Amino acid sequence: MGIVEFATSPWGQTVPIHISFFLMWVCAIGGLAFLIVHAIYVQFVAKAEHAGPVPPEVSARVPAKIPRHSLASRLFHWTMAAAMLALLITAFLPKVGYPFAWVTYHWIAGLVLTASIVFHVFHASFWSDFWSIWPDKIDIEDAKRRWLRATGKSAPEPRKFAKYPLENKAYHAIILLAGLSVTLTGVFMMKRVQTPFFTRNPYVFGDMTWGLMYVLHGLAGVGLIALIMAHIYFALRPEKFAITKSMVFGPISREHYLEHHDPERWAPSE
Amino acid sequence: MAIVHDIMPAFELFQPATIQDTLGLLDRNGPDAWVLAGGLDSFDWLKDRIKRPKVVIDLSQVDELRGVREVSGGLEIGAMTTLTEVVRHPVVREKFSILATGAESAASPQIRNQGTLGGNVSQDARCWYYRGGWKCYRAGGNICFADTPTAINREHAILGADRCVAVNPSDSAPALIALEAQFVVRNSRGERVVNAEDYFVGPDIDITRMTILKPGDLLTAIRIPPTWAGAQFYFEKVRDRQVWDFPLLNVASAMVVKDGNIERVRVAVNAAAARPLRLTAVEDAVRGKPRNAATGEMAGKLAVAGAQTLRFNGYKVPLMRNLVKRAIGGVEEAKWA
Amino acid sequence: MPANTPHKPAHRLIGKNYVTPDLVAKVTGRAKYAEDYRAEGMLFAKLVLSPMPHAHVRSIDASEALAMPGVKAILTVDDLPAPADAMTDLGQVIPANKLAERALTSDPVYQGDPILAVCAVDELTCAEAIEKIRISFDRLPHVVDPLVTLRPGGPNARAEGNVWFRPVAASPGPGQPPPPPPAPAVQELKWTDADFADMKEGKLPMGKATDEWTYGDWEAGLKKADLVLDETFVTPNTSHQTLETRTAMAYWQNGKVFIHCSTQSTSQTVPALARWLHMDPNDVVVISEYTGGGFGSKITASIQAIIPALLSKKVNAPVMMRVSREEEHFIGKARPSIHGRLKVGFTKDGRITAVDMFVICDSGPYDPQGDANQAGRQLSLMYQPPAMRWRGLSVLTNTPPRVSQSQPGGFQGIVLMEPVLSKAARKLGLDQVAIHRINAPEGKALIGPPVGGKRQYVTSAFVRDALDRGKELFRWDERKMQAKRSGTKARGIGVATSCFVGGSVGFDGLLVIKPDGKMYVQTGIGNLGTESVSDCHRVAAEMLGVPWEKVEITWGHTGRNLPWSCPSGGSQTTHAMTRAAYITATDATQKLQQIAAKDLGGKPEDYEVANERVSRKGGGAGMSLAQAAKRAIELGGIYDGHELPKGINKFTVSSAQALKGQGLLAVARDTMPRDGLTHSYVAGFAEVEVDLETGKYQILDYLAVADVGTIIHPRALGGQILGRSMLGIGHAIGQKWVYDQHYGLAVAKRFHHNKPPTILDAPVKMQWDALDIPDPETPVGARGIGEPPVGAGCCAILNALSDAIGDEVFRRAPVTADTILASLEAGRPMEEGLTAHI
Repeated sequence: MGIVEFATSPWGQTVPIHISFFLMWVCAIGGLAFLIVHAIYVQFVAKAEHAGPVPPEVSARVPAKIPRHSLASRLFHWTMAAAMLALLITAFLPKVGYPFAWVTYHWIAGLVLTASIVFHVFHASFWSDFWSIWPDKIDIEDAKRRWLRATGKSAPEPRKFAKYPLENKAYHAIILLAGLSVTLTGVFMMKRVQTPFFTRNPYVFGDMTWGLMYVLHGLAGVGLIALIMAHIYFALRPEKFAITKSMVFGPISREHYLEHHDPERWAPSE
Repeated sequence: MAIVHDIMPAFELFQPATIQDTLGLLDRNGPDAWVLAGGLDSFDWLKDRIKRPKVVIDLSQVDELRGVREVSGGLEIGAMTTLTEVVRHPVVREKFSILATGAESAASPQIRNQGTLGGNVSQDARCWYYRGGWKCYRAGGNICFADTPTAINREHAILGADRCVAVNPSDSAPALIALEAQFVVRNSRGERVVNAEDYFVGPDIDITRMTILKPGDLLTAIRIPPTWAGAQFYFEKVRDRQVWDFPLLNVASAMVVKDGNIERVRVAVNAAAARPLRLTAVEDAVRGKPRNAATGEMAGKLAVAGAQTLRFNGYKVPLMRNLVKRAIGGVEEAKWA
Repeated sequence: MPANTPHKPAHRLIGKNYVTPDLVAKVTGRAKYAEDYRAEGMLFAKLVLSPMPHAHVRSIDASEALAMPGVKAILTVDDLPAPADAMTDLGQVIPANKLAERALTSDPVYQGDPILAVCAVDELTCAEAIEKIRISFDRLPHVVDPLVTLRPGGPNARAEGNVWFRPVAASPGPGQPPPPPPAPAVQELKWTDADFADMKEGKLPMGKATDEWTYGDWEAGLKKADLVLDETFVTPNTSHQTLETRTAMAYWQNGKVFIHCSTQSTSQTVPALARWLHMDPNDVVVISEYTGGGFGSKITASIQAIIPALLSKKVNAPVMMRVSREEEHFIGKARPSIHGRLKVGFTKDGRITAVDMFVICDSGPYDPQGDANQAGRQLSLMYQPPAMRWRGLSVLTNTPPRVSQSQPGGFQGIVLMEPVLSKAARKLGLDQVAIHRINAPEGKALIGPPVGGKRQYVTSAFVRDALDRGKELFRWDERKMQAKRSGTKARGIGVATSCFVGGSVGFDGLLVIKPDGKMYVQTGIGNLGTESVSDCHRVAAEMLGVPWEKVEITWGHTGRNLPWSCPSGGSQTTHAMTRAAYITATDATQKLQQIAAKDLGGKPEDYEVANERVSRKGGGAGMSLAQAAKRAIELGGIYDGHELPKGINKFTVSSAQALKGQGLLAVARDTMPRDGLTHSYVAGFAEVEVDLETGKYQILDYLAVADVGTIIHPRALGGQILGRSMLGIGHAIGQKWVYDQHYGLAVAKRFHHNKPPTILDAPVKMQWDALDIPDPETPVGARGIGEPPVGAGCCAILNALSDAIGDEVFRRAPVTADTILASLEAGRPMEEGLTAHI
């Protein structure tokens, strides 16, 4: 069983048409397996990593509530989350045996997702600290340190995080890749269904180009199953719950801030 | 892989003699099994090597599936009863003549001698792109070739399209819907009875199927209740050729008229959408109204509300409007001197 | 039955119905068509067709297929003999056209172009082997719409270009005979955007044409006209859709190839197959006793018939290649569509003053078709415009190859003109029959452009008589008074006239009267369902006084000593071969008279032949034909075929030599004079009823009256008139091609998609009649009938439709319910008039 399904084009050529849908199960099971392994790891293996207490003069400067996510960011996040869940449900529920008229919901959710991503890109570029989500030198160094320490070698203690932990940054990068793949291909696919926006014309690209787009859309789509599972899992983990709350209400507490973040790298005044 | 048509590929053939054995075979072979009734639809697929079932289950030896039985004022018609047998059956002609008219308008005499009622209602779409082996949505692909800027789609859907714009070509289906027929579907787990209009599936729900039949399911019979026996019927099929042609559109109505007013009515059209459409909005609107031209006009206009046309099928809107108008209000017959 | 059975008491056989020698076999199913033959050890072959409309085959990997048990060989273009030059009867060499169709190709130019054939023990093995063959293609730009390729930057169907043109002929040297006309060539032609401006109004754009002719002052003619109509019309591409596909079976014996095939002609198929196989015609034997229809697509069988022959040579076993219906759609040929635009001037009384005609013929990917030119020629004959300009071009597209189809070109010309004539009648307030009558050809009517400074003319035409007869039989005037509308129905009546070439000259006849008293007729006429294979020889039996029961006809097998007969195409046969029968019977008569004179004294001209005897005129001595046959053998020389006349075809010579010494052998070539070009005519009358709420229409009544000279065989004539009328009616009511332009692929490939008419689409009532006025330029008086009913059938329906529902409904044929309903709804023509293959 290949990961891509091929078909014979009207001209008799073999072209890809979409991914094999068993990949949906691969991703779902893979995602679940990751959660279980991670939960076990955290429960039984992982040790505290961060350096010692914060000097009191530093903590004194920190307010009781540190704003983590602006209202705009939170609105974006939850809009996107709703769109993403709608997309996954409309895409995969019919595939697992619950058929319903999914296409209209799917493309509407897709448009919402696309719009929210466009908004996010602009907002993050001009009104937020754009670089805060991208790994920096310290993140890389600390990642090395953690790895060495985890494998029993000696290394200096990793520092505390800036605004976003490295996992968070890595996750953002991956979901950005998947999200852009799925939305870009999805936007083109709007030419292939009846919408009020375009005249339907599947011939803007050739059979092969479309086939590759469908494969990319599918791969990103099933990838998002695992990514979203992981995301929800982390959001619900007790040690991350403060962050989840901040995604609802905005700020995190001073305690959480001081425990996980390095005031040198993320000044709370921002 | 070079392409060749018109040679049937090899497959394993089963010819069970009972429904029980058939269900067992269907169960055992799941999606690999192909159910063969009269063969008029199947052989096209098989000869063109487009559909390649591993197993073909030929129902021709299952006597239980044949014949028309009178059941408490109505009829139970075995799914393997030929269209000719349906057309010629005296009770069908006497009480449910719309079914005879509808079935008799299908295909050609030779095809009706071989084709079955179950096959006629369960047949696949006749979209020429799909039947030509083009890998479209309905064939598991990701495109509808019939709804593109260059597509030739005069025979395609004006209603209920969702990516796929193919239509259901059955001529008996709208008659059965008008008669409030029920379809008996069996599988190894038991029996289901569904209303005629619910037997069919549109592309919005399942783009690769025309009916609710899933692997393992078998349509065994169609029941016609006495409800509409002897009602006023109207059936009309418009096609390019007078014989051996699928409908451009067909319409069927059953009506009980009291004191000139429509007391009860059912109306259905086919070849307008991927499933035969029961026009409930029209039924509701005309119930209680006088049976006349004005009611017909109103019904026709209502019937085509929301129709979406393609490049070559715009004529289907006035055609459906006029056919529904006639089905409700009657035809203004010509009186030549 | 004819509406008015002609009766010629003077004739014993001519004009009488009879049981044809092939009838019992046909109705009992004993008749063997190509597919019905079996030979010891016979293998099967299957074609692989191009899935692309235009491509180049980069490579073929058949190793896996050839390794399969039961697979014997594959055949590709590399196995084909090089295209051979052709030679005319005058010995002029026509060089092989490098762009012509071949049996197989590695450069497919249409979807369905055969790439290779696989030979195996059975067809299932062939199919499984084919699916193991890997062919890699380089896809090339394609075009299936003739207007699209003429657009600036439009794709070309072939690398060489998109239109056919005829290079200017070299002038002959002093005292030299003119060289054969140069072969047509392909070049690129693109029109400008400005040329296409007319398309917006639904008019055919008219850019540069590749060919043009004129006669008379057409500009002045249009200027002085009281009414000028400028109309665009598009005729359909229609496959011939013969019931028998072009299946063929072949085997080799002693260096000769025996090919069982489906062909319209028998003897003429030998040189065609020999040329395709690049062989000596003496080594080719054609067997085709029954043919399930040709309509011009199998005049000399089909080029693909050589595939089983070549495979058979390769594998040393008989090979059968059955052609499926879908394959037939592709390789079975089709009538080219014509996009036409006519400007026609009329006087107040309906007489045409001038015609300006512009036509684009979709010639398909291979040979140029004559339809564009013939459309103009036949129009010039049928409606006798005193001045005319014709401009045209044959465009190449990546669609199945075209070839002549019943009334090739003539049909399209008539279909372009008839709606104009009918519209003019309505505009001028004239009767449709009257406007046809005033423009009809009479007698030695002129046709076409001047040749050597002088316009040509036909042998005869009695079209006004046909119109008058039809008008009366159809009760035209009575029907004209009927109401046009009632309830949701509209009725209309239409008339159309149609014409085409109705005969050729110059072929041979061969018969032997044997001592058993029977007449053995050898014939190379094909048995394509017209019955001319036996009908023509009724003339010889009539003249020699032989009862029909004593006539044995040998046909359908060129190994059985057949003479050089005409190609059975273009309605030539009845004319050409009744003449050949006449001249051969004349030869027999003369020989009988000479034998009688030798034995019984007196001069040959003192004797006459009648009632199976040659006897002295006015009674007296004589001898039976049986006795004369015996004497002929004894006399030898010219009498029993030991000496043959000069001038007969070499094909006939070898057949006659094989038959020598068996009786009185008569053999002759038709060298009789003929003044004019032989044409036949039909007037068609139709009544239709249109359902205005569905667009559906029904043909209530149809009548065709033929002007085809002397009636030879009424039943066969009636069959031809009504059968070919149906072919034309099919063009009016539904037959078509459907192509997806993006992929350049056919989506309608089967009968239920292409929609040839069914028996229930035939008019409710259908009648025929024939004038039975002999043509003055042929001794028997008979002309051919196959072609002209087609245009009449189609156009009588179109004109009746316009009469019922008006002129602004359709601008192309076929006219289907959707067009009618949508146009009536909108009050203007709603179909896409100029898009091809919709």
